[in-house]
Amino acid sequence: MSVLSFTPHLHVHVSPILTPKPKPKPKLNKLRISSLQTFATPPPLPSFSDPFVLQLADSLEDSLPSSSQPLPLQKLRDFSSQTLLSTPWPSRKDEPFRFTDTSLIKSSLIEPVSHSAQFLDSLDVSGDTQFPNLIFIDGFLKESVLNLSNLPDGVYLGSLLRASDRIMERVSKFIGDFKWGDLFWSINGMGAPDLGVIYVPAGCKVEIPIYLKYFSVEGGNEESKKLPISNPRVFVLVEEGGEVGIVEEFVGKEGNACYWANPVLEVVIGGGGKVRHSYVQSQSLRAAHIKWTTVRQESSSTYELVEVSTGGKLSRHNVHVQQLGPETVTEVSTFHLSVTEQTQDLHSSLVFDYPRGYSRQLHKCIVAHPQGQAVFDGNVKVNRYAQQTDAGQLTRSLLLEPRATVNVKPNLQIIADDVKCSHGAAISDLEESQLFYFQARGIDLKTARKALVFSFGAEVIGRFPYPSVRKQAESHVKQLLETAYDSSS
Amino acid sequence: MAALLPCTHFSSAKFTFLPSSSSAITIPALRPLRPRLNHRRRLSLNSIRASVSTVDSPLASSTDGRDEKKKPLLQVTDLTAIIAESRQEIIKGVNLLVNEGEIHAIMGKNGSGKSTLSKVLVGHPDYEVTGGSVIFKGENLLEMEPEERSLAGLFMSFQSPVEIPGVNNIDFLQMAYNARRRQLGEPELGPIEFYAYIYPKLELVNMKTDFLNRNVNEGFSGGEKKRNEILQLAVLGADLAILDEIDSGLDVDALRDVAQAVNGILTSKNSVLMITHYRRLLEFIKPAFIHIMDLAWNIMNCCGFGMT
Repeated sequence: MSVLSFTPHLHVHVSPILTPKPKPKPKLNKLRISSLQTFATPPPLPSFSDPFVLQLADSLEDSLPSSSQPLPLQKLRDFSSQTLLSTPWPSRKDEPFRFTDTSLIKSSLIEPVSHSAQFLDSLDVSGDTQFPNLIFIDGFLKESVLNLSNLPDGVYLGSLLRASDRIMERVSKFIGDFKWGDLFWSINGMGAPDLGVIYVPAGCKVEIPIYLKYFSVEGGNEESKKLPISNPRVFVLVEEGGEVGIVEEFVGKEGNACYWANPVLEVVIGGGGKVRHSYVQSQSLRAAHIKWTTVRQESSSTYELVEVSTGGKLSRHNVHVQQLGPETVTEVSTFHLSVTEQTQDLHSSLVFDYPRGYSRQLHKCIVAHPQGQAVFDGNVKVNRYAQQTDAGQLTRSLLLEPRATVNVKPNLQIIADDVKCSHGAAISDLEESQLFYFQARGIDLKTARKALVFSFGAEVIGRFPYPSVRKQAESHVKQLLETAYDSSS
Repeated sequence: MAALLPCTHFSSAKFTFLPSSSSAITIPALRPLRPRLNHRRRLSLNSIRASVSTVDSPLASSTDGRDEKKKPLLQVTDLTAIIAESRQEIIKGVNLLVNEGEIHAIMGKNGSGKSTLSKVLVGHPDYEVTGGSVIFKGENLLEMEPEERSLAGLFMSFQSPVEIPGVNNIDFLQMAYNARRRQLGEPELGPIEFYAYIYPKLELVNMKTDFLNRNVNEGFSGGEKKRNEILQLAVLGADLAILDEIDSGLDVDALRDVAQAVNGILTSKNSVLMITHYRRLLEFIKPAFIHIMDLAWNIMNCCGFGMT
């Protein structure tokens, strides 16, 4: 960040790419692996291997129970360990990490967490009693607090270990193979102790939301340099015509614990299916949080994501949405808030390969600290056969302090010739005219600023489909802004 | 004088006083010529002087429908202002006196500075006052912050109110109303008490309750925006309400609603300053004084007449 901090207060990169880019050099992990076969004949070791990554891979492997795992999970591990060993730790020279400094993780003592079942049972973590939920403690699935009674028949929620053969078979069809992943994807794939599964059978509409709660209990402090890593992983499979809403919540045990959450969520939506995904990240302000969300959408399916990320010292969300058929609908609304020395990063990628896809993306972020930073790389790829795609993207950033930084890179890559695509980026302070409107009604400037800053994010928060999630996010964001304001004034 | 034209136009109606006697604007007589006046302004002032000199003395005897016992509410003297960014002078010496309980109208061509005057009065940051004085309720208005002006009892309805996505209409109203109550040393109202307070006001502007749950002005039609401004006026109350083109973009029914609402809010104490292009509004809200803002001189002339 040293370069940026010496440049003027606003450091912005907007580089929309409207013409097809030359294909990036193929990654080593592009290799397709369909069965265990490859494990028996390991590929030749890549010419480079990053000692840091090797060490991390070793410690992850050691932390896992040696007992045999269900096939899909084993397949995932094998696939991941291969790619992991051929991928170096990202540096600022790598385009995807150009503005995202991961040295916070690299300079720490990373320790994989291992919890026994007894320990998990002994923890008193209150889940939501009203809705069915899966609870993860440091990446380990705690099964005793499920609330399944309200779910329709055929819906499965729980560990892959206990899933029926049919579900196991369906899930294993999709698992493991993902050519767009990065190092963090592979770390999760190798280190995930379990796989949470949400399965919605064909035509089944789940009325109530399913909660995924991720707690980080283990945590070091800044002096010890200890950084416990957890790798929770969930797979959501919605069969044809099914519908479900999921709410992901990430929280730390206490305010200043250092830990690294490295979760992955995979979603596969069958034809005509629908997934409403709410994602709230309020980790400790010293934590690293690197999340992957991958979505595969069959024809006429709908995926809606609403995200509010406020926690973490380093927080990154990688979203990848891939079309598997025509006429998909994708709506992504995200709000990132940096109130301390935080980096909030969204890397999203929407890939259209089939006709008449529709997408709307809104990304908003507020940076309210001189050392705060927000990063947005929003890629929309409209490939040759994706005619009549309608893709819209808008990013708006609010910089409230001098030196607060935002790097936005909206980029469209369009190959099809009959499409409607738009993108926009705006970076600003609050609007004078709006502030004046408050003042003209007798409201003082400070109150007006607070209300306007909050309202900036409220546009995204208001899109949470569930009132309880909305209210909780609202009060959390309000509180954070309140403290940010009190400390700055 | 162009200023006289609308007056004669109105003379066919029922105003009872001669235009000349109406120039109840007392300012020209009271105001000393300041040395930095430019030639043009001096000219205009002279012309005003000429036209109103005769009424200086009869004024005291109150022959123009203006009750001299009324307390002055707003007194604008020789006001000049520029656009902050371009430094272009846009208000070139305006004089205006509004007493308690009076309804005034300002008419004039586009660009003559009518809306600018109202924005300057409420302290819009786009404009800078370069000379003159504005006394509101005995205090120097120009020294106050915009929010202090509002709390002092000055209200302006915006010609095109800005949209504020993400801020709920009722939250906004409550925030503004509670700011007023704080000023008065009264306890603030909670959401439920406030709802009880605001509910009857909604009927006044003929709006449904879902109006309150929408974001401030976001996606409002022209009529809804105007009604919302009047709703704010009804909620907050004001000693002087400046209604900036409250009639533009409204159909007859909406205009009647808005006008009725304004009339419903009026008491013998509070005053209104309307800015409009159309006579139609004046048929609904009857002004006692009509001022013409002149493009060439940018001087407020006045043809006051008691439209009773």
